[in-house]
Amino acid sequence: MKRPLDFKLYVITGENYHPGRGMLEVMEAALRGGADIVQLRDKMSPKRELIEKAKRLKELTAKYGVPLIVNDHPDVALAADADGVHLGQDDLPIEAARELLGPGRIIGISTHRIEQARAAERAGADYIGVGPVYPTGTKPGRKAVTTAYVAQAAAEIGIPFVAIGGITETNAEEVLWAGARRLCAVSAIVGHDNPESVCRNLLGKINAWHLGEQVALAESVSLSVPVSLSAPMPAPGDVREIDVVVNGRSERTQAATLLELAAEYKLEGRSVIAELDGAVVPRQLWGETPLQGGGSVEFVHFVGGG
Amino acid sequence: MLREAETEERYSRQIRFAPIGTQGQRRLGEASVLVVGAGALGASLAQHMIRAGVGRLRLVDRDYVELSNLHRQTLYDEEDAEAALPKAVAAAAKLRRVNGRARIEAFVADVDRRNAESLAADVDLVLDGTDNAATRLMLSDACFSRGIPLVYGGVAGSGGMTALLVPGDHCCLRCLLGEEETGSDGAPTCDTLGVISPAVEMVAALQAAEALKALTGNRSALRGTWLTLDAWHFAVKEWKLPPPVEPCPYCGWGESAAAARRELAEHGDSVRLSASGERAKEQNATEAALLGVRRAVAAEDVSIADRSESATGNALFGDDREAAKLIVLCGRDTFQLALKPSVSLSEWRRRLVAAGCAITADNRYLLRASTAAEERIVIFAEGRALIQGAGEPERAMEIYRHYLSDGTGREADETSVGF
Repeated sequence: MKRPLDFKLYVITGENYHPGRGMLEVMEAALRGGADIVQLRDKMSPKRELIEKAKRLKELTAKYGVPLIVNDHPDVALAADADGVHLGQDDLPIEAARELLGPGRIIGISTHRIEQARAAERAGADYIGVGPVYPTGTKPGRKAVTTAYVAQAAAEIGIPFVAIGGITETNAEEVLWAGARRLCAVSAIVGHDNPESVCRNLLGKINAWHLGEQVALAESVSLSVPVSLSAPMPAPGDVREIDVVVNGRSERTQAATLLELAAEYKLEGRSVIAELDGAVVPRQLWGETPLQGGGSVEFVHFVGGG
Repeated sequence: MLREAETEERYSRQIRFAPIGTQGQRRLGEASVLVVGAGALGASLAQHMIRAGVGRLRLVDRDYVELSNLHRQTLYDEEDAEAALPKAVAAAAKLRRVNGRARIEAFVADVDRRNAESLAADVDLVLDGTDNAATRLMLSDACFSRGIPLVYGGVAGSGGMTALLVPGDHCCLRCLLGEEETGSDGAPTCDTLGVISPAVEMVAALQAAEALKALTGNRSALRGTWLTLDAWHFAVKEWKLPPPVEPCPYCGWGESAAAARRELAEHGDSVRLSASGERAKEQNATEAALLGVRRAVAAEDVSIADRSESATGNALFGDDREAAKLIVLCGRDTFQLALKPSVSLSEWRRRLVAAGCAITADNRYLLRASTAAEERIVIFAEGRALIQGAGEPERAMEIYRHYLSDGTGREADETSVGF
């Protein structure tokens, strides 16, 4: 009996993105940063070499208690005792892979439109990839599916789905906005000098949205536009603390002004409208607007479409 | 007399609505309104205004009708999409059939700092139907500099927000949002989140309602709130709008605001405000240009700010753009850039065909061509191009250099990529 699959940050190997650094070194940095599922993708190496790589990577991921998925090859996954396999639309069908791997291993598949996602769910996939959300060098020539498909998958698909393709720290919010709760990145992580910090930042954004959902659920009405809020980090020392209601949820904070509260939620530089006790507060007055215990604050995204 | 009787008959149910009455209806007939953007919100807003009997409507839009607009942009049909008509042109044609009495001025143009104030110069109210925060902030500056109420509306997914901002009563959009121009931090738009028609109509309806109150003199009925709604999960929330921010050069009133205004006029972006004499002259020139264009509008069925129709029209629409500046438009797959307006559409047609493009639309307002790689190039008569389907800005610039630089190599050298 395998435990139900859950993860937030999916990292895939891409050795061409880090010449001069070893694959294990880079992946360990990603794992330290909080990657909670790892895929070995290597379209170049001969199978024997691939099995060796998979075995070494499996040792590493096992140390962190993180599953290892092998791209394309169920036989390699079995030989290296990996936790599962990831298939493309042109690879082995899910049913055939399941027969090879048995019920205990994870099978994921890339999808590029909702019909493929539905088919994958019906065929018993454990998760699907949704993308490429943005144009990506990892899959040149593949047309980006945009966040519209992410929103579609979020609305329809019951199994875990992970958004992939051109995702970076810069556009992660947009993908999360569209409804993704799991992100995958290749070049943005393994191609970065500091994969650990990129992972940590991406994970922070994902966690913020998980919490944002709880906030939305806590509200008696659920608007489509509340800003997601990550939990404020308590500062050390003896400071005044007050209870305020933020987006419908009671929070304890040390913030003395609206600006400090916004900073705790990392809303600086973002197009957000703030309301305090029923009135909008102009942005430049946030710093001189005091917070009182029992106050009610709402942060909402400025809506730009038309 | 006949005309009055017709008006009474035509608007009888609206006149019977007590807060409007005969007097309110007369005020509507005398009112001038600017609708910026003729997409989902803009088309709906324009229709509300024209049906309600607003005397003069000015409509500006930079885009053309495509099939993917039809599910929510209720003024347009398949023929408009087939003909690739500019939205301002297609909208004006429909609106004239709805109400032949109204004066409708349609402009195919991108609203920028140069023309925003002129466009808003002589109207009573501005309705926001744009699709981006940067244009909204420009509109806010123009409206608050001139004391014109602005009805903001925005929509994405199944939700939206709206507020009527009245100079003197409320602070401006720049103060609400902060100085930094928005839209790059993952704030939702129709391209990322999709959009459903009912959400558009809910926001447009609330914008139109505030506009009707403001135009008919029902000031005490104005909501005075920032309203957020969701059509799918049904939720409406509103918050009181804050008063002007004292030191702001746009909405402020105090001595520091006046100083900030002087500062802006002297050293800042001189086109933002019309305080200096130089600026006033420029203002006169652009107003003359606007008049010129307007005359052309009256003479023609529909019109654009096109050099062939109004020699002075160029001043209004920024003829002096030298280098190509690439602007990411409506999501990530449309890029807009300015062209040398001295090249005519027929000349562009010749050049693009010679360069191996297939012409997919050709009307008096625009030319659409398809490259060998099936990217689309749309050239508007006023000297502006859209590049669609290029994916990356680098590719858009390649397309520009290959197909749209004027052959002397001069433009390509001057090109600056700004986005």
